[in-house]
Amino acid sequence: MTNHTPLLAADAACPASRSLWQLGWQRLRRDRIGLAALWVVAAFVLLALAGWLGLAGSHWRHEVAKPNTPPALFKHYGPATVELTAADIDAAQQHHTSTADASAATGMSAEDDPLAADMAAAQAAAAKTAPASTAVPPHDGSLVCGSDSRGRDVLQKVIQGTATSLLVGLSGALLAMLIGTVLGALSGYFGRRVDDLLMWFYSVFTSVPDMLLLLAFSAVMSRGIDTVIMVMALTSWTGTYRLMRAEFMKHKCREYVQAADAIGASHRSRMFRHILPNVTHLLLVQFSLLTVALIKYEAILSFLGFGVGVTQTSWGAMLAEAPAELLQGYWWQMAAVTLCMSLLVTAFSMLTDSLRDALDPKVQ
Amino acid sequence: MMKKRMLVAAITALFTMAAQAADMNKVLRVAFNVPETGFDPAKVSDTYSGAIIENVFDPLVSYDYLARPAKVIPNTTVALPAVSADGRVYTFKLKPGIYFAADPVFKGQKRELTAADYAYAIKRHLDPTINSPWSFLVDGRFVGADTLVKAAGKGALNYDSPVEGIKALDKYTLQLTLTEGNYNFLQILAMPAFGAVAREAIEAYASNTNAKPVGTGPYTLKEWKPGSKIVLEANPNFRKLVLNGQTLPKVGRVEVSIIEEEQPLWLAFINKQLDISGIPQAALQEALVIDPKNPLNVKLQPKYAKQGIQLERKKDLEVTYQFFNMQDPVVGGSAKEKIALRRAIAMAFPRSETIAAIRRGQAVPMNYVIPEGVAGHNPAFKGAVKYDPAAANALLDRFGYKVGANGLRTLPDGKPLSIEMATGTSGIEKQWNEYWQQAFDSLKIQLTFKYGKWNELNKANRQNKLQMWNLAWGADYPDGENFMQLLYSKNAGDANSASFRHAEYDRLFEASLKLQDGAERNRLYDAMNKIVVAQQPWIFGDTRIRSSLAHSYVKNFKLHPLLNTTWRYIDIQK
Amino acid sequence: MFAYILRRLWQMVPTLFGVMLLLFVLFNWVGGDPSYILAGKSFSADTLANIRHQLGLDQSLPQQFLIFVRQVLTLDFGISWSTQQPVAEILASRIGPSLTLALPMLLVSLLLSVIIAAIVAYVRGSLTDRIVTLICTLAMSVSALVYIIAGQYWLAHKLGWFPILGWSDSLATNLWYYIPLPLLLGLVVSLAPDIRFYRSCFIEEMGHDYVRTARAKGLSERTIMLKHVMRNALIPVVTSLMMSLPYLFLGALLLERFFGIPGMGNEVLNAVDRSDFPVIKAITIYVALATMLFNLLADIVYKLIDPRVQLK
Repeated sequence: MTNHTPLLAADAACPASRSLWQLGWQRLRRDRIGLAALWVVAAFVLLALAGWLGLAGSHWRHEVAKPNTPPALFKHYGPATVELTAADIDAAQQHHTSTADASAATGMSAEDDPLAADMAAAQAAAAKTAPASTAVPPHDGSLVCGSDSRGRDVLQKVIQGTATSLLVGLSGALLAMLIGTVLGALSGYFGRRVDDLLMWFYSVFTSVPDMLLLLAFSAVMSRGIDTVIMVMALTSWTGTYRLMRAEFMKHKCREYVQAADAIGASHRSRMFRHILPNVTHLLLVQFSLLTVALIKYEAILSFLGFGVGVTQTSWGAMLAEAPAELLQGYWWQMAAVTLCMSLLVTAFSMLTDSLRDALDPKVQ
Repeated sequence: MMKKRMLVAAITALFTMAAQAADMNKVLRVAFNVPETGFDPAKVSDTYSGAIIENVFDPLVSYDYLARPAKVIPNTTVALPAVSADGRVYTFKLKPGIYFAADPVFKGQKRELTAADYAYAIKRHLDPTINSPWSFLVDGRFVGADTLVKAAGKGALNYDSPVEGIKALDKYTLQLTLTEGNYNFLQILAMPAFGAVAREAIEAYASNTNAKPVGTGPYTLKEWKPGSKIVLEANPNFRKLVLNGQTLPKVGRVEVSIIEEEQPLWLAFINKQLDISGIPQAALQEALVIDPKNPLNVKLQPKYAKQGIQLERKKDLEVTYQFFNMQDPVVGGSAKEKIALRRAIAMAFPRSETIAAIRRGQAVPMNYVIPEGVAGHNPAFKGAVKYDPAAANALLDRFGYKVGANGLRTLPDGKPLSIEMATGTSGIEKQWNEYWQQAFDSLKIQLTFKYGKWNELNKANRQNKLQMWNLAWGADYPDGENFMQLLYSKNAGDANSASFRHAEYDRLFEASLKLQDGAERNRLYDAMNKIVVAQQPWIFGDTRIRSSLAHSYVKNFKLHPLLNTTWRYIDIQK
Repeated sequence: MFAYILRRLWQMVPTLFGVMLLLFVLFNWVGGDPSYILAGKSFSADTLANIRHQLGLDQSLPQQFLIFVRQVLTLDFGISWSTQQPVAEILASRIGPSLTLALPMLLVSLLLSVIIAAIVAYVRGSLTDRIVTLICTLAMSVSALVYIIAGQYWLAHKLGWFPILGWSDSLATNLWYYIPLPLLLGLVVSLAPDIRFYRSCFIEEMGHDYVRTARAKGLSERTIMLKHVMRNALIPVVTSLMMSLPYLFLGALLLERFFGIPGMGNEVLNAVDRSDFPVIKAITIYVALATMLFNLLADIVYKLIDPRVQLK
């Protein structure tokens, strides 16, 4: 998944880290594409935030329209299939019974039922309260993105899916980076035994096919966002590890680190206060690469049945419904997700490119 | 119709020397959507392997292709067996001149089918080293077999030591003696698992009997790529079998592909890469015009009808149900408040909606433990509770399942209430789970899902670790006993997955075993169903109606309620 | 060099051991109990015990691990627990189709992506470069799943340009009839990231001092590009190529499932689904071995391309 890491690390003559960031920001501001991409990504993050806070897309589980209503603009392009309802099934059953011999209909009688009295009371109580109004769903044919097989608003689903997928992508990447950076730092900084052990660990993980790890991890954990994040982090930390190990190896021999050693800085301080800031720009690039990869990874995971549970939705979960829908001619859910995902991923990739250029110390 | 059938029977009974009827240039292309496992009748039990086994091996008796309801007819025997007055001794007379398919183990000799082959095949299901998945059908059934099994211990069965209950009297006569009368015995013997095998073939291929099926059936296994492709070829040694004046089988080669995804399966059929196919759930509405007034009244979409595609339908002999683990401290037990909890969950589940949305109307609600088409079914019995979430909530209120501060119900003693439902991970299971979530939400009961593969969940259930799980049971043979035993206490933890234990039910079940299908037994079954409805170990699901399609050039296309496949009857005229 | 190879081979032993340990722990923990599949829908505790005994599941874990070690040493993984076919035969029949799809995909993808990447790197910053980069970025942003679903639906079904799915015994038929669509879809998925990655490699190299020196010497741009930049930029190309080779054995799971290609990817999924531990063990060990060997090969190729690289 993460083969394409920028192994060709910058060989900077160690400028002060702040100036690199400032310089980077200046360069990024001049890069119109990069800036536009940044805005798009920011917009998505805002949307996702709104999703997490319940400000948008929180009604995605509500059945607001008839199943599989086409988007408003394409009202006449949807297939003209008649969707069955529960009432149809009930009516057909009634019909079936009456054509048979209604008088012969039997079942459990009151004396057979230990709960007979309670059932009668409960039914009476239920009848007293407001009659269950199964009102016809309000908007028909006015949904911007149409509705899914259960009559849920695809737009709401996409917003909620954006929230989930971004959360999964960002936190998965963050966690993977955390694992990779800590292990990589230990390995590169201390070398010797620690390095041997961690390198062994690394080669074991990279030698076992991703898919097996994935299937195995998913099998033990329950379904949910946390599981997806864990599974992703556990299978994609290796790229960062490799990168950080190389960087820490390189940097620990540099004068500034040796100087820190001379003034008595602890190992931890040297690793994380001195070296780490000098490699953060690489981590940033790595982070955005990973996020993009994980957002796409989630789609495949969901398709294989390892996605989020029924009370959550994600782009992957929505795409997993796509083959069945496409067969029936319901293309809009797939289109909506693909469009959204494509926009975000493209923006993210372009931002990554711009960041890489902006933060490359060699580019003048 | 009746006349024709008798004529058919008469002609089938006439045997002549085997004659190759099949046209080797005709290829029938079909697909399975689940990978098969192997073709040793005593080792596998999945439907897909069974479909192949059915075509390679010959059971003693089989089903009439055309008769409905399904009717057992002689297959390799001259007539149906003579049964002793007490219903325990069955004597079968084999047709002479039936030969196994040619195989190197026979060293070029023609190998005739004998009664000993059937005796051997049946004994294999008892062999402790084989672990037949069908052993539950034969265990304790034959006189003297238990001592033989015990003598074997963990080792192989001694096939040479005589068993009173499974005896070849002479070359063509097989005598089976049961420990007690059983009205379903012939239907059990009609299962593909009890087809004749040649002992020398089994022994020669001992290490890999799954890949080397040698039988007397209409087809032989030509090629097998596990999980991807199975090729059958007409068996030139097949006995003469005639239907409507045509010698069977007609098609020389059957190619089975394994296609697990719905989209390619359906598109492959539409694009004529397959000749016969079921309709995947997603394509049902694309393929069929379903009448909302009566969803079972369907016809092909005009675009497909125009192509001459043929539609055949059959109601599966199955029930689907969501069971509660009756031994579980939360959902199990027979106390009133436990029954109320189960009842409320059943009442909150929008079954008709799932039939409309998930089954696309292609199922009927289940109202009796025995499905339609199986002896003992009572169409007038309405066992399922009415969908009424409001009353369900009121019922829970009455029994003290109070709504707590967090908006979720607690147990009557104030402890938190959370129910776990076992489920697989497929897309269709997710669709069901959405409805279950909806049902539990409407009851304000917390629901969690336990995801797992089928074998893991089965293991967990046997260890009494599940609370709820959805299962389907398909008929092994079309008799009510096969279904009513699903709640018999002696099968608890096994076929009785709900671990339902009810003394009165057991008493009625044991009484029903002694009766033949008829009004008296039906009365007992009704009484048992009332117990099930009252105690609610199951939430009744539905019975599916399957649609199969064939292209216009496929002739004699017809589904059978019990036979897995009808390939031997099919012809292709392009 | 020889000593280096020997040492690297020796270092594979602990890694392989780690892989075995990880696999063993994972699948004893989560792999599921196959005896519950084999036993059928209704069975006794005795039957279950018998099956567990025959599969060796009733032995202690250390004993089972020892059996695993023996299997790895002899590379004989016995028979599948599900179909009872020899594991070696199953894998042998699966590897062909996987490679039939993966090798052409790798070659075409490599060739196209290196050429396109070199061209756009050469004209860095031009309109062509921007358009190609944009197309690649856009192409990368769509899920592989969408390409496959939509590609099969429209290209094969609606337009009828390709068969929906299928596989034959003849390599030629597979190559000209069944492979093209999955190959095309696979390329769409893999080409874009490759072009982007290789482009950045080339650009990286072009920024080095030696290129400037070469220019200053008056060498033609062509010579610089082909003799200097290409040669050095090939190092990361080779690395990424070698790293991706082991995955060829696993194949493209989704492509195989949708296009009926009887390859390795689907086999893994089915084996996990059926708790078919012998098959899982065999595939994992072979993939692990391949990964390690190709890594070594990558390092050796490194050395051959760039003599400055020190093999440690």
